[in-house]
Amino acid sequence: MKKLLALMLALVMVFALAGPTAFADDEITLDVIICQYGPNTNDWFLGSGMDGTNFVDKFEAENPGIKLNLEVVSWNDVHQVVDTRIANNNAPDILNLDTFSEFLPDNLLLPVTDYCSDELFDDFFPAFMQDFLVDGTYWAVPDLASARALYYNADILEQVGVEVPTTWAELEDVSQQIIDFYDGEIYPWGVDMTTDEGQACFAYYAWGNGGGFTDENGAWALNSDENVEAVEYVVGLVNKGFTNPNPATQTRYDLQDMFAAGKLAMLIAPNQVPTYIKDKGGDINFGTAGIPAAEGKTAASVGVKDVMMAFRDDEADQDARNAAIGKFMEFFYRPENYVGWVSMEDFLPAVNSAVEALVEANPSFAAWLDVLAGCKFYPTSMAEWAQVRQGVTTVEQEALNGGDVRTLLDALQAEIAG
Amino acid sequence: MNSVQGKRKWEPYVWLLPSFALIAVFVVFPILIVFKLSVSEISQAGVIGDFVGLQNFRDAVKLPAFKTVMLNTLWWVLSVVGLSTILGFIVAMVLNQKFRGRKIARAILVFPWATSLVIQASVWNYIIKFEYGSLNNVLLNLGIINQAINWRSSYTVEFIWECGVGIFVTVPFVAFCVLSGLQSIDGTLYEAATVDGAGFWDKLWKITLPLVRPSLTVSTVLNIIYVFNSFPIVYTMTKGAPAHKTDTMITYLYMLSFYERKKGPATALSVIGFLILCVCAGVYMLGVMRKEEEL
Repeated sequence: MKKLLALMLALVMVFALAGPTAFADDEITLDVIICQYGPNTNDWFLGSGMDGTNFVDKFEAENPGIKLNLEVVSWNDVHQVVDTRIANNNAPDILNLDTFSEFLPDNLLLPVTDYCSDELFDDFFPAFMQDFLVDGTYWAVPDLASARALYYNADILEQVGVEVPTTWAELEDVSQQIIDFYDGEIYPWGVDMTTDEGQACFAYYAWGNGGGFTDENGAWALNSDENVEAVEYVVGLVNKGFTNPNPATQTRYDLQDMFAAGKLAMLIAPNQVPTYIKDKGGDINFGTAGIPAAEGKTAASVGVKDVMMAFRDDEADQDARNAAIGKFMEFFYRPENYVGWVSMEDFLPAVNSAVEALVEANPSFAAWLDVLAGCKFYPTSMAEWAQVRQGVTTVEQEALNGGDVRTLLDALQAEIAG
Repeated sequence: MNSVQGKRKWEPYVWLLPSFALIAVFVVFPILIVFKLSVSEISQAGVIGDFVGLQNFRDAVKLPAFKTVMLNTLWWVLSVVGLSTILGFIVAMVLNQKFRGRKIARAILVFPWATSLVIQASVWNYIIKFEYGSLNNVLLNLGIINQAINWRSSYTVEFIWECGVGIFVTVPFVAFCVLSGLQSIDGTLYEAATVDGAGFWDKLWKITLPLVRPSLTVSTVLNIIYVFNSFPIVYTMTKGAPAHKTDTMITYLYMLSFYERKKGPATALSVIGFLILCVCAGVYMLGVMRKEEEL
């Protein structure tokens, strides 16, 4: 009796370990993790947000041999989820994230050319793809982009009798006039130095002063004179009372709420802001303009693009797996699906084939695509980007508390570049 | 009779087995893994490499924010556990009196404790918001202030708010622990003391406190552990900003691991935290047990 029980137990364990694939040799299951961009992401991928059906059902109906085990994970949790899976040797097959370089030192990623057809590869905006090229290999593809610009409350500027500022000096002058006119009731300028957005704040002012994260050779140059000046300038705006009072804890969404309520005159924000204001029921008359730069310098707009990447799995049948990943990508970027994905949360596209349909659906896209063409992007292909992103935010927050910007940036540069 | 008892000797262990199994899988095993990680090299992406001895611990101690974070953690635990114990005790004393609406008051007390900490912290964020916060709104409407006050004017103030929210959500737990202790005290003891001429303070020091000490011990030890490990309040209210000035050890090691991707020092910090907790809880328990033996 005991032997029989032991045998049964052993059999159960063997089958449990083997999993469903033991019975279905031809079927491939892809583990996919998608980040939650907004309230519609989950519905589009897993609910009924894709014309009554969803991405997974539609894909599986078209590709009978491929099953998608797709999870939509919030941005707050995604790093934790992915890192835990990697530590347990259970990386997803396809991952959507904002960076990819942290996975390169461990050789975890699959080169794009292993799964991406030539046709799809050529469809991506070439300027975007350049950022995914490390040591002669492309490691990720862009899934969408957004661009940032200056938003201003036209009524406030008109009442005060000032023009939209284009330089740092004009910005200070306009801010002072707004403060005087409204007796400090309206914040002239929005600044977000929170843990999630400090790197954007650094980029707005460093790029607007001819500095940036890297030098012309692509090496980290965090403590350049231009960057020191830029951080000192923005901290100066805060100290002079031209901004929202708590930039280290007031997020972009707090600022957008203030802007929508007419409490904030100007802020730098992404292209989704008009929809955000509309959803919040904001009734303000606003316009967009270029980000102000230091005197004699040209400001670049700040672009953000997120990525799709595929992980290695050395134990799988490589050809079949690569083909399945390729099919996923082809399906995702097919205009009939991709246009819905991008426009759902008001993002900008990353492939040429979607542009025409998007512009047709929403003519304001055309202007944003022009902005996007002139954007600078974060150096996400560099392995130290995660530390730099956090490092510049900490520098700004320390500077808000009276820290010396030069000393702080020197220390950060020494830590990052050795 | 004896033989039956002998046969049943194993019975308690069978009943305890499920608990032991759960503790082994969900407590002991993860702790052992963290100990292993703390002496291993861990890449940015989380891949575990070679044994590196105490290198992660040396790196953790050298981090610029280490001292600030340790001090914050000390203040956080001392203030939240200390003040909520005192306040909880007072609330329990009040709720132990007979008065109209006592049942409702006891039910209301559960709310702060029963609500999720993330929701609590978010609600407090709205209450103390400068621009549209309800605290400013109420004070302005009542005419108590003429101008909105920036309740988060510096990181010290923000940290005090975080401690305040911590105390607010911890008081009910202490109050209920103490209340259960108070209810078990025989009323005749107080009557006898009154007859002997004892006043309020005499009764408090000589009857109430000694008899509720076991309940207080339990609530204090559990609170030290809960509060030390508490993540949602600090993370929701400030995310440690500015520059880790409002971080406690738990939120800091999370930021270190998942934002800065310094996973080695982060695991070392979690081991340090675990050891600190073991020492605190151990010393406290030993002290209390010794006192109880003396009694």
